[in-house]
Amino acid sequence: MHLTQAEQKVLDGKQGPMLQKVMKTLVLYGEALAAERLVDLDWGGHFSIPFALPGVGPRLEMLDELAEAGLKTKYPFTLDPRAPADFETLGVSPEQKALFLDMLSDQPAYDARMLQLGLRDKNAYTCTPYFPEVGNIPPRGAVLAWSESSCVVYANSVLGARTNRNAAILDLLSNIIGKTPLTGFLTDAGRRANWLVAVKTTKRPNPQLLGAAIGIKVLEDVPFITGLDRFLSPALEPSTIDFLKEMGAACAAIGAVGLYHVENVTPEAVDQGKNLLRPDYRTYTIDDQTLEALFASYPVMWEDPQARPRKCMVGCPHLSLHELHGWTARICDALQAAGRDRVAVETILCAAPQIIQKFKEDEKAYGRLKRSGVKLTDTCPEAYMNNRLCAREAVVTNSNKFRAFTTARMYLDHDLIQIIVGGRV
Amino acid sequence: MAKVFQGRPILPAETRGQAVVTHTGFNTLACYYKSILTNASRAVCGDQDNPELFGRDLTDKIICLPKGIGSTSAGATWERIAIMGIAPAAMLFSQQIDSLSAAGLVLADVWAARRICAVDQLGDEFLNYVQAGQPIHIGSDGRVTVG
Repeated sequence: MHLTQAEQKVLDGKQGPMLQKVMKTLVLYGEALAAERLVDLDWGGHFSIPFALPGVGPRLEMLDELAEAGLKTKYPFTLDPRAPADFETLGVSPEQKALFLDMLSDQPAYDARMLQLGLRDKNAYTCTPYFPEVGNIPPRGAVLAWSESSCVVYANSVLGARTNRNAAILDLLSNIIGKTPLTGFLTDAGRRANWLVAVKTTKRPNPQLLGAAIGIKVLEDVPFITGLDRFLSPALEPSTIDFLKEMGAACAAIGAVGLYHVENVTPEAVDQGKNLLRPDYRTYTIDDQTLEALFASYPVMWEDPQARPRKCMVGCPHLSLHELHGWTARICDALQAAGRDRVAVETILCAAPQIIQKFKEDEKAYGRLKRSGVKLTDTCPEAYMNNRLCAREAVVTNSNKFRAFTTARMYLDHDLIQIIVGGRV
Repeated sequence: MAKVFQGRPILPAETRGQAVVTHTGFNTLACYYKSILTNASRAVCGDQDNPELFGRDLTDKIICLPKGIGSTSAGATWERIAIMGIAPAAMLFSQQIDSLSAAGLVLADVWAARRICAVDQLGDEFLNYVQAGQPIHIGSDGRVTVG
């Protein structure tokens, strides 16, 4: 890989051994990916390393080395949702709480290191940093080094920014150097589609199912999706944004999609249309039967498949403000229609701290939700299930990503609301 | 009879070992997460979605795969298993290495000073030929001898 003189000096250790080590990592990584050179980052990072859990978070010793050398990211960064510590909201038992405290014993030290290394602020924890209330919104064309698969696919596809699917820690090191290897989605060629996915459903598909169907088929390739614009507004209005967020998270987590184009909707597809397709593209058609068969294929992973649901978690990825209002209205209206005051299943909605704060400012909506017994949290449902005692509970959700990574059981939104109100599957 | 394949050495090393083979993507976090959480002395694959590897001991083995898949959270995984002493001896990719595996293996090499030999671009023929349990020799030039 070609390095500039300034980059070579860093690699030679002229700016200290720690920065040399960081640059060495980045150069070896770039060479493995056959990148020509490094390019400057234009915007702050978003990283998928919010916990001190072994195997997920970096070792504290490594963070200490970086912090003690006075290193910091070029721009402030945001992190995935904070570790589950609001035990009352999550309704954990004493045993579950004890296990969480043991699992996350390094978390306070970890959070402190992250602030030292450039975390934007103490509330910069969410998997939807790109919403206006949170404000990590890179402009179109900006070069990034993000991780968290659902954020990468959103930044590339909906915002038109440019980031590869970086691994945790490499994202941090790239943002310390302020550069990333020029390869993959950073190049025009890497952003062209090699699949035409034709959506031929008779009604607006469930985004979480549609995303999964696409991800399973195309894996890490780039799909150009037609037929979806029938169901989405051409302007990126809140309901369209929500749909794209949900679909993207599923195709990124269940496949490995880092970029999709939706004809007449996403920015590059609006500008370039089918010219984005490579000459050798393949075609995949999705209809109602495709999605029904996929949904029917999901196994029940509960210890007791006949169990009554113990908990409902919605918000993987975190809910937008628009979705939070939507879930509030649908749950409360369904309760009213059933002649009930409170939900029959402990229900937790997950969103960014800034979005929860904004929602609470709407006293009428917040009051209504609170009276229904539904709780709000800014943690991550998947992180909750990392606790093996929590993972044994019968949890229901509408999230395909949450289902795929845990023992949670997925239902479509309408059915999930009936479960929340009635208490039975 | 031994058969030789030439790949691109990414993290070169001369090493020998026994093959384990997956013809689908290798999900690093799903494979190793349970072993890490339980501080296991052997890395038994915990990826239920990979029937070729699920339940197999991966410690010190030579993993033959098309490429890595899965969560971007897996960046720290290679370094952890290298420090725990339960890493594979080598990773042999039939395709070009993916960004998540590249990052994780480089991090283990630079930050934990534990080299897990990595060779990529060995081709489809390599993955079609190699069988679980076969002996493999890897040269530091990326030459892989199977059998």
